[in-house]
Amino acid sequence: MSLRQLLLRLSGYLGASGPPNRHWWYFRSLDTISSVGSWRGRSSRSPAHWNQVVSEAEKIVGYPASFMSLRCLLSDELSNVAMQVRKLVGTQHPLLTTARGFVHDSRHNLQLRGLVVLLISKAAGPSTRNSSSQNYDMVSGIYSCQRNLAEITELIHTALLVHRGIVNLSELQSSDGPLKDMKFGNKIAVLSGDFLLANACNGLALLQNTKVVELLASALMDLVQGIYQENSASTQGNPIPDDIRISTWKEQTFLSHCALLAKSCKAAMELAKHDAAVQDMAFQYGKHMAMSHKINSDLQPFIKDKASDSKTFNLNSAPVVLHQEFLGRDLWIKQIGEAQEKGRLNYTKLRETIKAGKGVTSAIDLCRYHGNKALEALESFPPSEARSALENIVFAVTRFS
Amino acid sequence: MASGLAGTGTRFLHALSRVGQQFGRTFLAKSGRRYWPEPVAPRRVRDDPRPLGGPGRTGCGLALPVPSFRLRVWAWGRGGATAGRDFQTRTMALRWSCWRRRCSWRPALVGSPRPARPGCAGPLGTRAASDTRAQIPYFSLLKILTSASPNMHSISQFHQRTPAMCCCSQTQSGEKYSDPFKLGWRDLKGLYEDIRKELHISTRELKDMSEYYFDGKGKAFRPIIVVLMARACNIHHNNSREMQARQRSVALVAEMIHTATLVHDDVIDDASSRRGKHTVNKVWGEQKAVLAGDLILSAASIALARIGNTAVVSLLAQVIEDLVRGEFLQLGSKENENERFAHYLEKTFKKTASLIANSCKAVSVLGCPDPVVHEIAYQYGKNVGIAFQLIDDVLDFTSCSDQMGKPTSADLKLGIATGPVLFACQQFPEMNAMIMRRFSLPGDVDRARQYVLQSDGVQQTTYLAQQYCHKAVREIRKLRPSTERDALIQLSESVLTRDK
Repeated sequence: MSLRQLLLRLSGYLGASGPPNRHWWYFRSLDTISSVGSWRGRSSRSPAHWNQVVSEAEKIVGYPASFMSLRCLLSDELSNVAMQVRKLVGTQHPLLTTARGFVHDSRHNLQLRGLVVLLISKAAGPSTRNSSSQNYDMVSGIYSCQRNLAEITELIHTALLVHRGIVNLSELQSSDGPLKDMKFGNKIAVLSGDFLLANACNGLALLQNTKVVELLASALMDLVQGIYQENSASTQGNPIPDDIRISTWKEQTFLSHCALLAKSCKAAMELAKHDAAVQDMAFQYGKHMAMSHKINSDLQPFIKDKASDSKTFNLNSAPVVLHQEFLGRDLWIKQIGEAQEKGRLNYTKLRETIKAGKGVTSAIDLCRYHGNKALEALESFPPSEARSALENIVFAVTRFS
Repeated sequence: MASGLAGTGTRFLHALSRVGQQFGRTFLAKSGRRYWPEPVAPRRVRDDPRPLGGPGRTGCGLALPVPSFRLRVWAWGRGGATAGRDFQTRTMALRWSCWRRRCSWRPALVGSPRPARPGCAGPLGTRAASDTRAQIPYFSLLKILTSASPNMHSISQFHQRTPAMCCCSQTQSGEKYSDPFKLGWRDLKGLYEDIRKELHISTRELKDMSEYYFDGKGKAFRPIIVVLMARACNIHHNNSREMQARQRSVALVAEMIHTATLVHDDVIDDASSRRGKHTVNKVWGEQKAVLAGDLILSAASIALARIGNTAVVSLLAQVIEDLVRGEFLQLGSKENENERFAHYLEKTFKKTASLIANSCKAVSVLGCPDPVVHEIAYQYGKNVGIAFQLIDDVLDFTSCSDQMGKPTSADLKLGIATGPVLFACQQFPEMNAMIMRRFSLPGDVDRARQYVLQSDGVQQTTYLAQQYCHKAVREIRKLRPSTERDALIQLSESVLTRDK
């Protein structure tokens, strides 16, 4: 059973949900959706174009990434979880949103982190220091240990995605669903995430490389801190965005969105015994590509022909932070006040205000800047179809026409 | 006067019957192996070829002394001559048979119990009614015994006797045993400061949350076992009296993994207090608490990787997997009564003993190349760990909230059936339905607690823990004599006698 098949079964369990309600944690759900969506086809103007880039990349690494056998998903434990999550239908527990996000990603063949790890493994090829006898376990130019690493990267990402979906019991409202069910949702979310993390730990141990273990453990620590900072940003009640500059935003985004991919790319080089210079270039590609991708994702609500009146957006996203930086904090607070209607924020109005400023164009420039840095890092790798695929991903992410 | 004498005689006869019934059950349990399931062997572990050790004394707090009977049991417990053992067996069987003929009551497990579906009470039938009637005399008898000998007193007496028995089982030497905790702490000075250094966090609140349980108020039971085992193995290998820094790191990692688990367990169980203070989830909320647990785990993994030994990394990774699987095992229940015990012991191994067993093995791997020693360390840790948890489950029924640092009957309130409950169920079959519905009906927790205290579930669980400690001692004695080895022996005994 592949991941896709399991998640499709999960989809059947979830059934129809009640009407969407926005609550204090809706913005966290938005972050969750954003996190899932950040790797969706919507990340470029044309979903068809993005899917084409991904599909071609998957052929290069030997098989579709979405059919990677995440073996732990075949276990009794997670089958049990799939049954249990069904009990949450009808509540507002964010675990439902996360689960549906998994289903969506599965249908769209999107496990981009793992795919990038495989592509950069192939682009780098075997190192000259590696003895020729070890090349026997290469498939499509990628070591089996590198394929295992790609799975581990996806496991860690997925685990933290699940752990993002915990609710604070003391802040629940009666409309969120019965307290007993919300407690149960938390329990399943903690256990499921822990289960994925435990499998990631075991997978790392099987790689028999303590440097890689340390690198991925460090990435996990970064990811946790990044998510923590994101949570702190989304305060309860009337959301006032943080007073931060883009440099701070980049530090936080590195932790929450870039560190795992950057360090996984570096780890893939370590597994193939490449030297420090190659490892660093792989790290740089992962870092800048992920940063570029995140900015692209943040820009979607502001791209002209995609405007949707009912759509909300993250007030701590890159275009908004840049808007504040150019405008000044006081004026920005004033603009937010003007967009308030009967105590609720009129996102449509606020979007127009932001588009009239310099935040959006600056964000586009920043996206392209990081895209170019990613391309520079790739120049250290010899020309190959895998390298071309990595370049195409950057081109797709930085395309806004 | 005649009436008075008759009354006394009646009570005495009942007491004797109780004794016979008690040891009869013990005997049947051993021979039938239905009451003493072997722990389910985890992956990659050699199956223990020997069954549980010979029968030890079963605690039996009677107000009335029975000196001659006690003497025979004592001899049996000490592994007397074969002929003597056979005689005891025949005598016991005879007594059991006599007792059964005199009373119409049948023990619950003589017939196979009716399986009940989870969350659904079985329908009352003729057999159920019959069982109910048959138990009335026994219940009255039990009431008399309970009044004559309060359970707390009984347990207290048993605990007082345990050290003496353990001392007799050891080789007498002139050496005075030092406190194993004091001995272990010599290598653990600054442990919590070192752990806090591993938690490199720029955000103040996240750092506070992550450090919250590293306050020195825990028992540090796990790191102490680990460092004592490290030294015992080092001495065994080449008489080295030095502890490696890497071995101490294993103790640090073990404590961090344990604490990360506690943080997540408190969210899972919606716990309010631990070690006398509010839980992380109550202070900071569930969202942040889960991240704090993940952060401690990631820091532990970094420290583990820096030890630089792939075998050690694998052992501790196995622990992390066992901890999660143990929690999943706890979510489920077994309908089949015979499977319940195996399920309970497997959960107990994974949630408590695996960390100790694999950490002990890890330090032995670092200190000694001999795989035989690795297995000794593992088996000691496994058996002590299981015994530790069994006693924890006993204390849930016998200790007050203040001593434990957490509310008592916590497991019952969470719907979890532990050792004392599973044993009590053999005497009170109506507990089956309560177990299957996870004590979810109003009054279930209190009734279950009463059944346990009226039964010998606590004594049986304590006895089982004792067997595991004996196995642990037999394993560790295979190592070359050392102060640390003796401290580990003493520590396994302290597991049985602790009150919190």
